[in-house]
Amino acid sequence: MIGMVREQKTVYRHSLATRLTHWLFFLAFMALVSSGLQIFNAAPFLDASDKTDIHRRVLSIDSPREGAGVTTVFGASIPTTGVLGWTDDGMGGQAARAFPGWLTIPSYQSLADGRRWHFFFAWVMVVSGVVYIVWSLLRGDLREIVLRPRDAAKILPMQLYYLRLRKEPPAHGKYNPLQKTAYTLVLFVLAPLIVVSGLALSPGLDAWLPWLPHVLGGRQFARLWHFVAMVALLGFFAVHVSLVASTGVINHLRSMVTGRYRLGAHDGVGV
Amino acid sequence: MKRKIFLASTISAALAACSPIGTKLNGNQHFHDALDSAERLDERVLGTRGLAALYRPQDISADFPIDSLDTPSDSGYERLAASGFRNFSLIVDGAVEAPAAIPMTQLVHMMNVDQITRHDCVEGWSAVAQWQGVRLADVLALARPKQNARYAIFHCFDRDANDSQYYESLSLQQAAHPQTILALRQNGRPIAADRGAPVRLKVPTQLGYKSAKWVKRIEVAASLQPIGGGKGGYWEDQGYEWYAGI
Repeated sequence: MIGMVREQKTVYRHSLATRLTHWLFFLAFMALVSSGLQIFNAAPFLDASDKTDIHRRVLSIDSPREGAGVTTVFGASIPTTGVLGWTDDGMGGQAARAFPGWLTIPSYQSLADGRRWHFFFAWVMVVSGVVYIVWSLLRGDLREIVLRPRDAAKILPMQLYYLRLRKEPPAHGKYNPLQKTAYTLVLFVLAPLIVVSGLALSPGLDAWLPWLPHVLGGRQFARLWHFVAMVALLGFFAVHVSLVASTGVINHLRSMVTGRYRLGAHDGVGV
Repeated sequence: MKRKIFLASTISAALAACSPIGTKLNGNQHFHDALDSAERLDERVLGTRGLAALYRPQDISADFPIDSLDTPSDSGYERLAASGFRNFSLIVDGAVEAPAAIPMTQLVHMMNVDQITRHDCVEGWSAVAQWQGVRLADVLALARPKQNARYAIFHCFDRDANDSQYYESLSLQQAAHPQTILALRQNGRPIAADRGAPVRLKVPTQLGYKSAKWVKRIEVAASLQPIGGGKGGYWEDQGYEWYAGI
């Protein structure tokens, strides 16, 4: 078996910088989501406003009484006991906590520690993101994954192909137009949004750059954007992992670790 | 089906692995020290620049949350409160040329700032209020900090359940920010007992816990080390950042 793999043709697909920043980004993202949920738990509501305003509340996760959890989205309340609102306290018990302990860093309630993690890994994420973008720009790799005007006409045919309503995918390069759409959204919309909305929560930076919270609709609105961008990035992550799963897990993982991608059934499939 | 199982298990495993691994790492002192290094970087990058946004009277929050230790209940504070704080004097001492006890009447006379600013709590909420008071820099100037002085430490009347006294600190550079004030009035009225009467700090460029309530004494010092837990404040001693601009 091993001999067979060796004989098969591999291509050098991901540069060391891409691989390194990919895994650093992944690590930082996981730490940021877990510590971010810990921070959210200290004020488990999101308002589309500048100052806190219950009349402009979009989401809240409460425990109205001992043993009950309620999630309210746009005024509609859903009982979520055990999942959200009244959950695992990270210390073996149950308590009034918005997100459960098994999802947060640290598992128990600690805003101070959640913040330490968040602000450290925010730097890791930003630095690895910037290194990746600059590196890819210099190498010209970004051309392969950024959606360009001429790709626009191919988005619908590609979607039809995925839905099995079309036999052949439209002609494309290493990445297809839907993948390019996803990458472009992540790199140039969601990643900047999550960084900018996070920065807008800083009272120090808000004094320095007063337009920052303003363009996002205010400080609490920035908190809402920050959360929405996190959910969207998690959505991308889910699609990304499902594509890896369906087109050769080992091959993809190897190419993201060693750089070498084996050509075969899924020639040229990027995820 | 296989794919769905793989997908679901990978994502849940990744998410669920974070918490226990993170919690374990969190208990490691070296790791924690590494995490804390981000604070110095943040302070260097963000620092204290610019001016906090000013708001209009109609922006003032109808219900400003009270989120602090309990209102002081010791006999000394209650005696002062009973007389409307007429006998209160703010102490400014430590590394200063001219230690001072500034009576309430003088503080009122010195009032030179009237600002409507947003207060951002470390928990995540924001509220807007009007604050009238004295620029902190002016109060410190009365006592003339010595050459070696670097910090202003605010000792407060309030204590927690373990009898730990609330305190906070700013660098003298942060203290010199024109919007950093000792507030005497909130929304046009003398500061209420449960909101820090008679004098509280307001630092609109940093998170709410820096804006200490019930300030009774300002100690100017060269170092934060000897005070309290040595981290520069009640919350800082419990792991919160001393630089609360973020």
